[in-house]
Amino acid sequence: MSLYVDRPSVIHRLDPLTKLCYIAAAVTVPFICPVKSVALLVAAVTYILLAAGRVVTKVLPLLGFVAPVLLSIFIIQGMFMPDNHALVFRIGPLYFYKEGLSYAALLSLRVIGILGAFSLLVLTTKPSDLIQALMEKGLPPEIGYVLNAVLQIIPQMANALQRITDAQRARGLETDGRLLDRIKAFFPLIGPVVMNAFVETKDRAMALEVRAFNSKTKRTFLHVRKKHPADVALRIMCLAAIILAVVWRLVG
Amino acid sequence: MNDVSLDLGGESTAFIGQNGAGKSTLMKLLKGLLVPERGDILINGKNTKDTSAAKLAGEIGLIFQNPNEQIFKHKVFDEVAFGPRRIMDAREAEARTAAALRTVGLFHKKDVNPYDLSLSERKLVAAASVLAMDTDIVIFDEPTMGQDEKGIRTLKAILEDLKGQGKLVLAVLHDMAFAAECFERIVVMAHGEILLDGPPEAVFANEEALKKAGVEPPPVMQLAIRCGFTERPVTKESFLRLYYERR
Amino acid sequence: MSIIKAEALRYKYPMQDELALDHLSFSIDKGEFIGIIGENGAGKSTLCQALNGLVPHFHKGAYGGTVTVAGKTVHETSVGELSTIVGMVFENPVVQITGAKLTVYEEIAFGLENLGLPRSTIIERVDEAIELLNLAEVRDKSPFALSGGQMQRVAIAGMIAMRPEIMIFDEPTSQLDPQGATEVFEAIETLSRNGVTVLVVSHQMERLARHADRIMLMHGGRLVAFDTPERLFAMDFSGISVRRPVYTEIVRTVQKAGGISAETVPVTLEGAAEWLVKHRG
Repeated sequence: MSLYVDRPSVIHRLDPLTKLCYIAAAVTVPFICPVKSVALLVAAVTYILLAAGRVVTKVLPLLGFVAPVLLSIFIIQGMFMPDNHALVFRIGPLYFYKEGLSYAALLSLRVIGILGAFSLLVLTTKPSDLIQALMEKGLPPEIGYVLNAVLQIIPQMANALQRITDAQRARGLETDGRLLDRIKAFFPLIGPVVMNAFVETKDRAMALEVRAFNSKTKRTFLHVRKKHPADVALRIMCLAAIILAVVWRLVG
Repeated sequence: MNDVSLDLGGESTAFIGQNGAGKSTLMKLLKGLLVPERGDILINGKNTKDTSAAKLAGEIGLIFQNPNEQIFKHKVFDEVAFGPRRIMDAREAEARTAAALRTVGLFHKKDVNPYDLSLSERKLVAAASVLAMDTDIVIFDEPTMGQDEKGIRTLKAILEDLKGQGKLVLAVLHDMAFAAECFERIVVMAHGEILLDGPPEAVFANEEALKKAGVEPPPVMQLAIRCGFTERPVTKESFLRLYYERR
Repeated sequence: MSIIKAEALRYKYPMQDELALDHLSFSIDKGEFIGIIGENGAGKSTLCQALNGLVPHFHKGAYGGTVTVAGKTVHETSVGELSTIVGMVFENPVVQITGAKLTVYEEIAFGLENLGLPRSTIIERVDEAIELLNLAEVRDKSPFALSGGQMQRVAIAGMIAMRPEIMIFDEPTSQLDPQGATEVFEAIETLSRNGVTVLVVSHQMERLARHADRIMLMHGGRLVAFDTPERLFAMDFSGISVRRPVYTEIVRTVQKAGGISAETVPVTLEGAAEWLVKHRG
C-alpha cells in the first residue's frame, strides 16, 4: 500500500525532511512570484530531480490524469477570461485570446510543478521513513503509529471483507448482479466489517499495551536514517529560494 | 488443487492435513464460492460453474470458523433466520430456525443480541444459521478450534443429529481424535492433492503417508502402538476392548 | 522462592454482576511451568491479565486483593513497566502484529524501541530472539505474509526480546494447525528450560500435561484445584466440563473397572503405556 519505487538514486537517499522542504519551496515560490518564467524554472528543476530519482516515468500517468483538467483551463481562460483583448487564433466560432492563454499556461505550470514536487517525495521515500522522520521531530507516537498502520491494515481489511462476503454468499446472499441486490447486500456486509474491526482493534490495543507502547521513555529508532551531506545544503537552498522570492516580490 | 477426483456421499468425511494443504480451498470449491479452472464439481447433479453460490445455498451449507465475520442482526433469531428466509417461505423458515436453535441449545437466547453472547455461543449461532437452511450437505470448517469440552460435546451431538437425518456431513479438521471418533471416512490432503482416503482405522495406520502429510495419528492409536498392539484402534472404546481381550 | 503471589484477588468487569475472579490466593515459584485449564468463561484469560496489569489498568472495574509479581504490586505499577517483568502472548496471532512495521525483524524490535533501549542492545536482543524461535528465514518478510504458527512465533519473539522473567501464553495454539502448535509448544519448552517462569492457558490437555509442573483448574472465577498434573487429573471434577488427557482417561477407566483408586495417574503417552502394560496382569 504505497507508491514508493525502490531505485538506487541520490534522491532516494535524501532525508525525507529535505524533500518536504523542497515541496514547501516548489509550492510557495511560483505563487509568490506569479510569472511564467519562475513557474517554468521550478517545474523544470522538479522534473530534473525526478529524472535523477529515476521515477519520471511514474509521474506520466498522473500527468495524463490531470491533462483533461488543464486542457479545460486553457479553453475556458483562453476564451472567457475578462481581461482578454488580443486575439491569437480562432477555430470556427471559438475565439482564443493571448491574456487568457498566458494565464492558463501559468496555472498549468504551477499544477505540473506541484504535482512533480509531491511525486518526488512520495515516489522516492518509504512512508515509514517519512513517518519516522516526523516522529523524530516531535510527531506524537500515537499519530505515527496510526499513519504507519493504516497503510498495512487496509489490505488486511480487504481480506476480511472477502471472507465476510464468502460467509454471506454461503447463506444465500446475492452480492453481485442487479443494482438492487448489491444495495440489499450492503448491511449484511458492512455490519460484520465494522464489528470485526472493532473486536480486532480492542485486542490489538491490548497487544500494543503489553509491548510498552504507552511507555513514557524517549523511544529509540532501530532504523538509522543516514543523513546525506547534501541535506543541509539543499534545505538552506530551499529556504533561500523562498526568501529570494519574497524579496523579489517586495522590491519588484 | 491439482487433479483431484472425489465422490462424496453417504459417509461423513473429515479432511485433514497441514494448513495450506488445500482443504479449505476444496470446501470453497464444493460450496461454489470458487469455481474450478479445469474440471467440474457436481452438487446433486448441478454443476457449480452454472449455479451462483447464492443459488447453491439451498443444497450445501458451510459453517465458517469465525462467527464475527457473518453476524449482523440484532437478535439471535433473526440472525439464524436470515439464510432460511432467502430460500423458503416465511412459516417454514421460522420453524427451521427454531429447530436449529434447539439443536445447538440456544433457543432460550433467541431474543438476545448475538454480541452479548460469548464467542463459543456465537460459534453455535453461526452453526445454527447454516443448519436452519436444511441443506442436504453440511460442511464444517475447523469446528473444534477454540472450543472447550462442553463445546466439543455440543458439536458431537449436532453431528450425530445431522447424520441421523441422512445428511452428508463434511469437515475440515485439525483435531485427529475428533476426526477419528466422529467420521466414517478420512481424506488426507497435502499440497493440493489427496494422499489417502478411507476409514479412520486404515488411514491413521498408514504412518508413512501421515508423516508426509505432516499429520499425527490420534492419541489413542499412539497409545496402542506404544503398548505393543498389532491392531490400530482409533477410539477409546476399541482400545479398551483390545486391552481386555489381551488380559 | 515465589515470583508470583496472589492474595484474595477479586475482580469484576464493568457492567457485569458476577465476579470474574473470585478470591484467588496462590503462589508460583520462579522457573515453574504452570498450566491453566477450565471451561470457556471460567476466568482463565482474566487471571492472566491480572498478572500483567491489563486488569485493572486497561480493563477497569472493581478490584480487590493484591497480586505481586517479582516484588511489584500489580495495581500500583503501570502496564508499560510490568511489560519488562511479565510478557504475554494472546490467542489470535494476527492482532498481535502491530501493523506499523514492514519486516519481522522490525516487528520484534517494536517493544524495545518503545522502552528506549540503546540501539546496540535492541539489535543484540532481536537477533537472539530470532535465533531462539527459528525465524531467520522470514526475518525480512512482512509479518502479515506469515502462516499462523510463524506469526505466533513472531509474537513470542517480540515478547522474549523484552526479557520478562514471567511469560504468559493465553491459548497460544488454539488457532494453529498441529504443526504450528508443536512449533509453539517447543518454543515455550525451550524458554522454560532457560529458567523463565511460564504460564500457559490451553485446552490441549495432552500437551499441557506433558510440560506442566503444576496445573490450575478454574471454574466460575474460582481456583478449584492447583496441583501436579498426575494428582490433578486423578481428581473427580464433578460439574466441571474439563477433559483429561486421552491417555489418562483410558487408564482411569481401567482403574475404575478394577476397583483401583489412586491419588496419582499417569498423564503422558509413555507413562500411560507403561502403566497399562504393567497392569495387564
